[in-house]
Amino acid sequence: MTEERQDPNTLIAALSRDQVNLSLETFHLCCLAGLYLRADRAALASFEEDLLVDLFEQVCDVVEPGAENPKKRATHAIQRLRDQHMLTRIDGAGVVHAGEYALTRLAAAVIEYFMADEALTRESLTLLTRTLLVQLSDVKGAASRATTVEDWKSNVIGPLRITVGDLIGGIERRQRGLDAAQEQVQEEIARLLVTDWFGAVDRSQDLLDETTATLRELNEVLLRDANQFLALLQEIQALAEDAGQLEAEEAVQRVVEQVDRIVAWGSARQRAWSNYYQYVHGYLRDVVRLDPDRALSQRLRDQISDWTVHPFHLAVASSDAIRLLRPVENRVEKPPVSRPRGLREQPLDEVGAEDLQAVLEDLVKAGLRNGAVTLSEVTGAVLEELPEPRRFGAAGRVAAVLSRLTRVRSERERGWVRVNTELEVEEWRLAPEGAHLE
Amino acid sequence: MRQRGRILSSSFESLGAVVADDVFPEVDLGLRRGQHIGRDDGPAYDFLSDALDHLEPFYRRFGAELVHKADGYFYLLPSGDRLSRRHLSSGEMLVGQVLALLYLDPSTLALGGLVTRELLLQRLSGLVGTEDLVKTLNPQRKKFDERIAAQTVRKQVGRALRKLTQLGFIEDAGDERLKLRPSLMRFTEPVRGLTDLSEAMERLVSLGEVLVPDSEDEDDDETAEEVTR
Repeated sequence: MTEERQDPNTLIAALSRDQVNLSLETFHLCCLAGLYLRADRAALASFEEDLLVDLFEQVCDVVEPGAENPKKRATHAIQRLRDQHMLTRIDGAGVVHAGEYALTRLAAAVIEYFMADEALTRESLTLLTRTLLVQLSDVKGAASRATTVEDWKSNVIGPLRITVGDLIGGIERRQRGLDAAQEQVQEEIARLLVTDWFGAVDRSQDLLDETTATLRELNEVLLRDANQFLALLQEIQALAEDAGQLEAEEAVQRVVEQVDRIVAWGSARQRAWSNYYQYVHGYLRDVVRLDPDRALSQRLRDQISDWTVHPFHLAVASSDAIRLLRPVENRVEKPPVSRPRGLREQPLDEVGAEDLQAVLEDLVKAGLRNGAVTLSEVTGAVLEELPEPRRFGAAGRVAAVLSRLTRVRSERERGWVRVNTELEVEEWRLAPEGAHLE
Repeated sequence: MRQRGRILSSSFESLGAVVADDVFPEVDLGLRRGQHIGRDDGPAYDFLSDALDHLEPFYRRFGAELVHKADGYFYLLPSGDRLSRRHLSSGEMLVGQVLALLYLDPSTLALGGLVTRELLLQRLSGLVGTEDLVKTLNPQRKKFDERIAAQTVRKQVGRALRKLTQLGFIEDAGDERLKLRPSLMRFTEPVRGLTDLSEAMERLVSLGEVLVPDSEDEDDDETAEEVTR
């Protein structure tokens, strides 16, 4: 169990970078199994080199009797198993004397997988869940008594990660064992029917019923005990929260997720098995029992082969979906489409060209003649004669024409003077009459 | 093997109560579209089992037989001209029969009745032969090109599988896998009894269960698919 959760991407990248691989041949696995069993029976924690070589030679005699130079093979096997992290040298004496070796955790797990029959049973599950409840109660007691960070680490976080984690890991491992056992049952039923068609019905039914009963019992145990686990875990989490122990809260949360997973496993497997059970039950009832001689498959095979020569077609109902009529609407009379009559191109009117600049100049001159002495007076007089839309544009031109026709003077601080309701101009004074340029 | 036994303890007091049930519209539409409703369909199957007493005479008035097979499925078989019916195409028939054979195979049991499309195509080609298969599935094509033929077969098989799924013979289980249903046993009807094949076929034709095409239009797939009203 790792101390912290690792990012899967980082972990995978690291494994790839390190070129991690595992490659074991049957002979190596047999050697490992021999070591594992010897260690188990003789309560050995490690093996001296001579013992190791001797054991490997014995395995070689069993696996490959008559093989040449078994000692050399044993030496190669030891090196190979060390390369694969299955064996580790523990003495650290180097070349001083012969080595002492021990099986690694990986080797033990591999051999346990092949050897141990760890399918989940009601007994093993009940034992595990009871132990887990006791452990969680102890952890809860420790959490309520914990006063220092060290107390939390050693009495709460540690047991949650190691003891409780291992127990739940044990349940999960046995769940995987039961999955494998179920798969074997499915294969076994198929094999029984292939070999002994009608005679296999009762045995197949027994296998189905046994697994169904096991799954139901396990699910009952899981559902009953999981509630107690979760209640205890919630209490521990609340204590950790009150004490501000974030690490402990995370450790509890992780166990909660594991508990949720094992409960979800139970219901998912029961559902899947229920579907399988129904299918097989129907098969046994409708196919096997009604065709005890297993003649139907052969007759159907003949029917298919012959079908292109003597075809027939099954009849099925084929009514269209019910038509849903649209709601009734009043009919809308649309006007008939018609082509417009008459000429599409209208004749253009001839209009004489207008010289706005000349008109403006005439108006300015008229204003000057009428005695206007300021820009605002001239502009006001000119704009009155022009239509509304043209006034704003013409105002600027009035100033330009005036500056050309007469001398203009302006104060250092030119004031703004209102011309009409919509326009103001900066005031100029004009030269006296007769001082005009023209 | 028509099961005509009466259900003595129907929970429905009248046809009106059956029609008023929430499940009725979906079941009725499914049956009229040719769907086979089996035990896997749960409430729909339970409803039909319960209401069979009332629904048999109801559909008979439409000139159709509500058939309940001992294998555990229902379907509607129109015999008159009040309800439309059609006959399965050559592709649907071939694929259906091979699926029925796979249903009978004990090795399918280990996978809970799931088979892959690949396995289906292998069996189909092995039992019928590639050339016959191509000829049957695409009678218009006279030239035989291996690549085009394989493509045609896959396309026609895909089409047949879609139709058979709609009719409730199989379920699409995803990942190119198919869940086989007991209604596939309908394809085994001609060889199911101990009687002679031609005798069994005559019986099925008289019941309106199957159509045997005339010799002159044997190859005409459209005949088989023709909808009668």
